[in-house]
Order: sequence, then C-alpha cells, then structure tokens
Amino acid sequence: MPMIEIRDLRKSYAELEVLKGISFDVEKGEVVVVLGPSGSGKSTMLRCINLLEEFQGGGIRIDGEAIGYTTTEGGKRRRRKEAENAKLREQVGMVFQSFNLFPHRTVLQNVMMGPLKVKGIARREAEALARDLLKKVGLLDKADQYPARLSGGQQQRVGIARALAMQPKVMLFDEVTSALDPELVGEVLRVMRQLAQEGMTMIIVTHEIHFARDVGDRIIFMDHGAIVEEGLPANILANPKSDRFKQFLRRYQGDYLDT
Amino acid sequence: MTPNVLINNLPYLLKGALVTLELSVVVLIAGNLLGLVIGIVATSVGRIGQSLITAYIFVLRGIPILVIMLLGYYAFPALGYRVPAYVAVGVAQIIYVSAFVAEIVRSAILSVPSGQIAAARSLGMRRFSILKEIVLPQATRIAIPPLLNNSLTAIKQTSYVSVVGVWELTYAAREVVERTLASFQIFLGVMAIYFIICYPLSLLARRWERRAAVVQ
Repeated sequence: MPMIEIRDLRKSYAELEVLKGISFDVEKGEVVVVLGPSGSGKSTMLRCINLLEEFQGGGIRIDGEAIGYTTTEGGKRRRRKEAENAKLREQVGMVFQSFNLFPHRTVLQNVMMGPLKVKGIARREAEALARDLLKKVGLLDKADQYPARLSGGQQQRVGIARALAMQPKVMLFDEVTSALDPELVGEVLRVMRQLAQEGMTMIIVTHEIHFARDVGDRIIFMDHGAIVEEGLPANILANPKSDRFKQFLRRYQGDYLDT
Repeated sequence: MTPNVLINNLPYLLKGALVTLELSVVVLIAGNLLGLVIGIVATSVGRIGQSLITAYIFVLRGIPILVIMLLGYYAFPALGYRVPAYVAVGVAQIIYVSAFVAEIVRSAILSVPSGQIAAARSLGMRRFSILKEIVLPQATRIAIPPLLNNSLTAIKQTSYVSVVGVWELTYAAREVVERTLASFQIFLGVMAIYFIICYPLSLLARRWERRAAVVQ
C-alpha cells in the first residue's frame, strides 16, 4: 500500500478549474519532487493533501486513511468530521514558503506547540523532543530567541523542526526556499536532504532543479492543473518529452548552468 | 469670587468624582467584556450572524452617545419598566462602548495573517486551540492600543449622564457653579480631576506602545 495515494484530484474556484484530475502515488520513504510554472496548481495540490484547501472531486489517502471526505457505498461524498480531519492532519507535516512561525512564541515554544497542544504530552517530554529537533536542524543555540530575530534560513529550519515535532508519516514542502536569499538556500536544502536520507516520505514543490535531481526519487512536472510528465530524475531531466517541460527547464535550468 | 472657592468645594466635587469613577469602572468592565465576546463571535459565526453583528456595530457607531442615552432613559418607562435613571443610562453606555470594542476586536482578529492559521491547522490543532494559542495572543497585541484609547473616550463620555440628572462629577460641578458663580475656577478644577482619572490609562497606553516596539 502506498503511503500517499492521490486519485483523480479535482478542485475549482467557481468557474476556474485549478486541478484537473491529478493521480499519483508516493511509496513509504519515497521523495517526490513536483516542478511546474507558477499557477500550475502544484501548491494547491499540496495544500489539498492536508486539507488546507477543500477539493471537489477525487480522493486522497494517507497510509490508507481517506483525507477530508469519505465516499459511501452509494457513491455519495461526505465531509469527514472536523475532529477526524484534524487527527489525520497530525500525520502530515507541512513547511511553508513564508515560514509562518508563531511570532509571539520563542523558537523552542514554536517547536513544542504541536506536541503540547495537540498530542498533549508532558511539558518536560515535549521540551526534550523539541531540543533534539532543534539540534538536528542546527539551531539549539537559538531556542530562546523570538523568530523575528532569526534569518530566513534559520526561520525555515525552525519551520521544519516544528513540523517534525508531530512525528508525521509524511512531510510536505511548499516552495520552502523561494522566499530566501540565495546564500541561505543551502542550509535549508541540507536539512531536507538529511531527512530524505533518513527515509522520510516527502513531497517537495520547488524550483530548485539541481536539488530535485540529487534528492528526488521521482519528478512530476505539472502545468495548468494537470500532470504533464513524470519519471526518474535522471531520465526526465535529460530527455523531457513535452514542449512545455522543455521550455520550463530551459527557463529554470539556465540560471544554474554556470553553477 | 475668592481663589479658594475651588478648595472649599473640593470635597463635594471629589464625591462626584467617586461616582464618575464607579460608573467608569462598571462601563469599562461590562462594555469591554460584551464587546470582546461580540467581536470574537463575529469572526466565528456564519453569514447571518455576521450581518447581525455588523448591523449592531454600524447602527451604534452612527448614533451620538447622547441620543442613545436619552433613548435608554425614555425607553424603559415607555415600555412600562420602572428603572432608576442611572441604570438606564449605564446600560446605554455599556451597549454603546461594546459596539466600538467589538469592531476593534473583530478587525484585530482578522488582521492575524492567514498563514498563521494554516500553520496551526497543519499541526493538527483544533479550532478552539488555534483561537486561544495563536489568534487571540496576536490579536491582543494589535487591539490593546485602540482598546485603551477607546476606554479613555468611554470614561470621558460618562459625563453625559449628567444631562438626564444622574449625579456625578460634571453634575456636581454645575451645582457648585450655580451656587458660587465661579465657573472658571470650578471647571478648571473639574478638568484637572478628569485628567487625573484618565492619566494612568494614558500612561499604560504609552508603556504598551514601547513594549510592543521592543518585541518587534
């Protein structure tokens, strides 16, 4: 059974269909990188997986559990109870482009938020876990700082630690380096690479093509709300089939040809 | 018109000030609490509830406090209830203040970035927990300065109750002036008393501003 199972996912805003039937699986421990121009629906797809966005058709399963909606035998679609969906969300960690750290809490308190307020584990235990994770992302010395004092790269690493604190089965990364200064991108990618090596199941939406090639087990290219191509990084990047993917690679790889 | 006419009448004025202070405390506590609840409810109910609350806020904001107080003063007897004047105008003041507080609270809650809520939801946090741990603490920082400002206004506008014969500082001052004709000295003294009542809140607002600046 795949860890993530997406079948014919459809979403529209009024008239505009932004996801036109997306289907793919992610196996346990697999790292899938999603590429695509802005407006292709890749972030929206990611946000559907932990139900930050509602979707109108198709289904998503995490480790066999349907997210958001269940379909009865008669084919009727029913929204799951909010408490059930929150429970499912606990298993899906998410890291955001704009970090979204809680500004009124210290770094340590940010990482402890999930374990304390959702899992309800003891404070001492939560703090030990949080310190472990901060050490892992190299920010133990910043534990008592407020997020505003940190650089973008540091904030994003805290964002990763905060998501990991829930010990999720799956991690979703939504253009997590897009808001960073170029010299800060590396430190965030390093943490993600380490996670991948440890066997975390990940879906990464990014524009970092080099990183996609190095870390991704599979690449999916999306455009206009649909999957255009997918395959092994080495194959798909070397021999793009569609014109749209070729065009995309030319635009984004151009920047990296010298590096 | 001797210079110490103010000093001679000070005990009487201070008795009035005590009533003003009591009225202010009641109006501030009840008005802020009611407004807080309305403001929070406004951000978590459906469209009909929102429309009702918007109507409540807009109507009250569009009426002079004197008019709503007079309405309160005459409405209770017209409806057949015998209510002491100070209760009628007190209730009117509380409702009036609550509308302004509700609007401040509502807009402060809505100004918390949606990414904050997305992050909290992605951790699996439930609605109430998100409100308590994430939204309200951040909204509070935004709302405190306008709330303190609003409270200052609320204290000062308790002087309107003198119009319908409720005895407090302004009413007492008018009595003394009528008796002594020393309008200048007496009202100068009354100014000073109102200022002293309001000063701590003004200080608090300043201090908060400085603290918030440091955290940012």
